[in-house]
Amino acid sequence: MSAFLREYLTVAIFTGVAFGLLAGVLSVGKLIRPVRPQAEKYFNYESGVDAVGTGWVQSPIRYYVFALLFVMFDVEAVFIFPWATQLEIYGWFGAVEMGIFIVLLALGLLYAWRKGVLRWT
Amino acid sequence: MLAALAPVLAFARPAIDWHALAPEIILTATICIVLLVDVSTSERNRWATSSIAGIGMLAALIPILTLAVKGGPRIMFGGAYVVDDFALVLKALFLVAGYVTLLLSTNEIAEGDFWEGEYYLLVLSSVFGMTVMASARDLITIFIALEMLSIPAYLLAGWRKREVKGNEAGMKYYLMGVFATAVMLYGMSLIYGGTNSTVLAEIGRQIHGSFGKEPVAALGIVFVLVGFAFKVSAVPFHNWAPDTYEGAPIPITAFLSVASKAAGFVAILQLVFLAFLGRGDVIRPLMWILAALTMTVGNLIALRQTNIVRLFAYSSVAQAGFMLAPLAVVGSSASTTREVLQAVVGYLLIYTVVNLGAFAVIIAVGRKTKSGEISSFGGLFEYAPGLAVAMGAFLFALAGIPPLVGWFAKFQVFKALVSQGGASGITMAVVVGVNSVIALYYYANIARTMFMDAPPDGDRTPIRVPVPLLAAMGMAAAATLVVGFIPGVVAHLAEHATFALGG
Amino acid sequence: MMLASTLGPTPYLVLGAVLFTVGAVGLLVRRNPLVMFMCIELMLNATNLTFVTFARQLDDVGGQVIVFFVLVVAAAEVVIGLGIIVGILRRRPGATADDLRLMKG
Repeated sequence: MSAFLREYLTVAIFTGVAFGLLAGVLSVGKLIRPVRPQAEKYFNYESGVDAVGTGWVQSPIRYYVFALLFVMFDVEAVFIFPWATQLEIYGWFGAVEMGIFIVLLALGLLYAWRKGVLRWT
Repeated sequence: MLAALAPVLAFARPAIDWHALAPEIILTATICIVLLVDVSTSERNRWATSSIAGIGMLAALIPILTLAVKGGPRIMFGGAYVVDDFALVLKALFLVAGYVTLLLSTNEIAEGDFWEGEYYLLVLSSVFGMTVMASARDLITIFIALEMLSIPAYLLAGWRKREVKGNEAGMKYYLMGVFATAVMLYGMSLIYGGTNSTVLAEIGRQIHGSFGKEPVAALGIVFVLVGFAFKVSAVPFHNWAPDTYEGAPIPITAFLSVASKAAGFVAILQLVFLAFLGRGDVIRPLMWILAALTMTVGNLIALRQTNIVRLFAYSSVAQAGFMLAPLAVVGSSASTTREVLQAVVGYLLIYTVVNLGAFAVIIAVGRKTKSGEISSFGGLFEYAPGLAVAMGAFLFALAGIPPLVGWFAKFQVFKALVSQGGASGITMAVVVGVNSVIALYYYANIARTMFMDAPPDGDRTPIRVPVPLLAAMGMAAAATLVVGFIPGVVAHLAEHATFALGG
Repeated sequence: MMLASTLGPTPYLVLGAVLFTVGAVGLLVRRNPLVMFMCIELMLNATNLTFVTFARQLDDVGGQVIVFFVLVVAAAEVVIGLGIIVGILRRRPGATADDLRLMKG
């Protein structure tokens, strides 16, 4: 067997092990898990939106509130990263300034929590 | 990228002038307290947020007074933030206007189906943005201040959220406002690209130099100024104003037509006087056309209105035209430029006080008649003579009849326009004169309804005016009368409201 | 980065101007509030592109700092705007900007 083919043999073995492992894990799972079929469980999942149909479907309004909150806090992080990369240089002054910034952000989160926006049901 | 960041490595702690920043710090603290009170108390105790917001605004006036006594411009952050006399006068104006808005709101918001705590939180945030705007001498700071004052205002405009009109008001204001911001930002990017600076003083130096001669400089200047023309509702960028003013809660209409407009003018003044003066040849024709259109179109449409809030919306469009008019001769000579600044600042101070007073009366009358029609003011003099006389005073002050304060504002505008002596100044003065007469017609028409007509529904029960409204009205009426006889007060303030150049 | 130095800033500035125009025209022509939103985003991002190009050309951090602020503020604006739209659509599904004409004149 040439060295060339032997390298491909390695690939073939890896492929076989991968498939075997996958089949094994899935069949073990199938054997031990409870089976209670429901229609919703057979939908494809795509970010909580129906994957098939027109684009103009109504999503639950709660979804928007979470998405909007996420966008806000996610984007504010852009001010924290540059400071974090230069942490030592800005020293205590930077830490205090960033502390104030984060406290103000936390106030926004506190508001959302107290108004019951963070509860899903 | 790393190479570009290298200069930052040598970091020196910026010197912070706590005294100069005290008004903003007090407002920020008040915002936090109002939020905490709002989330920790029950619905019945939310009225407290109104009092706290009011106390916060008055407290922020104290450091402004002490700063004014100490004098001297305080320049921070490499010239990006300047507390000079101009900033102090206008910060005081914004805080007083914000406080009067709170007085106008208290009963309206408590009695209606509104969120209370958030309302005061947003008014405070918007006023905070305005105080920052008065000191902003840098493109980034101006942008942040503009957004800080606009974003709460978008929400406040749509505060009557269970009514379609309220939604419509918020949506229109939002779309036009964001569009204007984008246009302004694009102009700023062109100016930044040409000058490699965002500080107004440095941009001013470069515009006097070689960059100013390039066409892209003119393009940038026009874009930035057009962006702010939306903010002050200058024609042809005024379409949002009447609908937003009608759909918003009336105290917010007063706030938008006064404080938000004043903030737009503050930005225009800073940009024109500190940065763009070198291209007066671009600014003068632009402002001439904007001012003439704004006055004429605003007044002509105001003539046909039957709803009082809409009439005031169009009249405030026209008033913006009067304030833009002096800018049509800016930069033609040093003395004219100084008079233009005085005329615009003086007009702003006077217009703010008088318009707030007029809105206080509109709210007081509307509480009884539940109608926005001008005819609902019929017979007001019979059953509420105090209100009718006060409203008459505010109307004639807006029209510019002596001895009420408005005549002095108009006089300053004429003086600035004529002092230049050129054809454009004289023709502008004629346009201002003709428009003053048109405006007098519709203001006098309201007065005639109040004093001559009978009440439309025959209801002559007197009006009970709540104390906060009465206080707001009293303050405005006192200022209207007193300053009318002693115009030196405003002249003195406006004369001193000069920029600290350089820095 | 090599590409930027060989091409020069002009193509980026032209792209920025084109995107800005597309956004502005779209905002004035289209009537679906969500599409109008996207047009506004297009305009703001055209501005960002212009700022970044100038910052690179002038070798100055100032332009990049502005872009940070514009990004954050744009996100805040979109959150507010979507809030207003959701408020309107709750009342009237499928509303366009032309339906918002209760008040006129």
